[in-house]
Amino acid sequence: MKSNTVPEFILHDVMLKIPYKWAAGEYMGEFLTQLKESGRIYSNRCPNCGRYSCPPRPVCGVCHTKTEPRDKWKAIGPQGTLLGFCVTEQSFMVPNTGKMLEVPYSIGIILLDGAPVTLQHRLAESNTEKLKPGMRVEAVFKPKEQRLGDIFDIIHFKTIS
Amino acid sequence: MSQRVAIVGVGMTRHTSRRPDVNDGELINEAVTAALADAQLSIKDIDSVVIGNMDFFEGHYLSDAMMMDYTGARLKKGLKMNTGGTVGSMEVVSGFYNVASGICDTCLVIGWEKHDETAVTPAISTMGDASLDRPFVVGALTGLAIEGIEYMHRTGCQLEHAAMARAQSSQNAARNPHAHLRDKYTPEEVMNARMVQYPLNLLMVCPTSVGACVTILAGEKKAKKISKKPVWIKDHTTVHPEYTGNHYQGQFDLPGYPRRTSMMMAGSTILKRNHITQPMKEIQVFEMYDPCAFVQMSWLEDFGICGHAEGWKMMEKGMTALEGAFPVNPSGGVLCTNAIGDSGIMRVAEAALQIRGDAGEHQVTRDVRTALASGFGGAFWTDLLLLKKDLD
Repeated sequence: MKSNTVPEFILHDVMLKIPYKWAAGEYMGEFLTQLKESGRIYSNRCPNCGRYSCPPRPVCGVCHTKTEPRDKWKAIGPQGTLLGFCVTEQSFMVPNTGKMLEVPYSIGIILLDGAPVTLQHRLAESNTEKLKPGMRVEAVFKPKEQRLGDIFDIIHFKTIS
Repeated sequence: MSQRVAIVGVGMTRHTSRRPDVNDGELINEAVTAALADAQLSIKDIDSVVIGNMDFFEGHYLSDAMMMDYTGARLKKGLKMNTGGTVGSMEVVSGFYNVASGICDTCLVIGWEKHDETAVTPAISTMGDASLDRPFVVGALTGLAIEGIEYMHRTGCQLEHAAMARAQSSQNAARNPHAHLRDKYTPEEVMNARMVQYPLNLLMVCPTSVGACVTILAGEKKAKKISKKPVWIKDHTTVHPEYTGNHYQGQFDLPGYPRRTSMMMAGSTILKRNHITQPMKEIQVFEMYDPCAFVQMSWLEDFGICGHAEGWKMMEKGMTALEGAFPVNPSGGVLCTNAIGDSGIMRVAEAALQIRGDAGEHQVTRDVRTALASGFGGAFWTDLLLLKKDLD
């Protein structure tokens, strides 16, 4: 018998499971295609203000100018410098998959060689003692036959000396 | 037709982890009732209603229509906001436009969230681009954790300072009956909390709360007639940086040097436009949207309140404490109370209470004539409002 000092409330169980198919779009689509096909990380530049974007974007976010077309895209990296990072210790539900995150899970902001622009990605290293802003890292790609045309065609960035 | 705008009423619920005893509407109605009582108005005196939350948290998107019985919005003007962390502050800005335009004389502004109804992390992650961002955005914390690392690296701030900041917030929240987490902590106790996302541990991040907050805005003539202590919205700005999948790209002033562009732009706009040259003297309190323990130090710098690397030193010296020279978040801030759709409006409401002298136990010791309130969204979207006791 339940205690009458604890009130019972009616709570409805609602499970929303709504699958989406998001269009990556022309520029993001080509960026992802190039990760898959050529194993290159592309950026592009605004002809007006000089700002680089990675992944390439069709319109400059700073000055709203049409950016450089595909034939002028520049491959940057795969090496770069770590600017910032975080290491997730507590598991959460991964929003794209609904599965629980395997921890520790470390994320870095990487300033890629070749253009003043950063990419966010996973880091191989998750020991916070060994992670320092300024350290050098390099993209590790999946073998070509396993690539799917998504951001995880790069497995992670590993530490290089 | 345009007119100046004052806050003439404030109402908020208590904040807690769970409220299974009420639905959204009943929760909202508690704050609406409190705000109308505070303003000594009835719903008939209200011309428009602005309401906001973040749809994914409650799982329905017609809140403006569904909540009508509880908000009192039937047959009135109004609109709904759904802009993530900035919902509350954007709503006040929106209410300001309603009234300042002269189209309405009064506006009831409602922000709420009922975080006990779903898992916050997957819901909040819908803010991110699915191609590039969501695979890495682990809830709201990823960007803030990275920013903490970057701030420590750039300025010499230590993890212990974040713990001190959180301990200070806990002292303030303990004095605020509307705060959610009201336990007092020492910096050592904060340091020993379970790690969530390095460098942020469980006590260095904001909670998920249930609560609602309402402000009532009125035009100049009406405000002077109905309110003994109107708080004037002197100025405000809203700044969007470009949306970026990661939290640094697009924030470069110089190559390789990340900055929080929207904070800097918002701060400099408000300070310059109001000829404020000594912000710590000319502004007496700042209710800042502080989702993690680092930012109540780092964003002071970005808003232009203090110089580079001075934010953590101000906190260390006790200057940002409730009795300090420049109190920040005497309410305990978002670090102690975070029902997202009401967090931004709570900053404005708390700043207004400080100006009125009605903050009770967490009233700052300085005489408050001018206050700042900020709102923050996950994509570094910033709102900043300047409130005044007196009309110029």
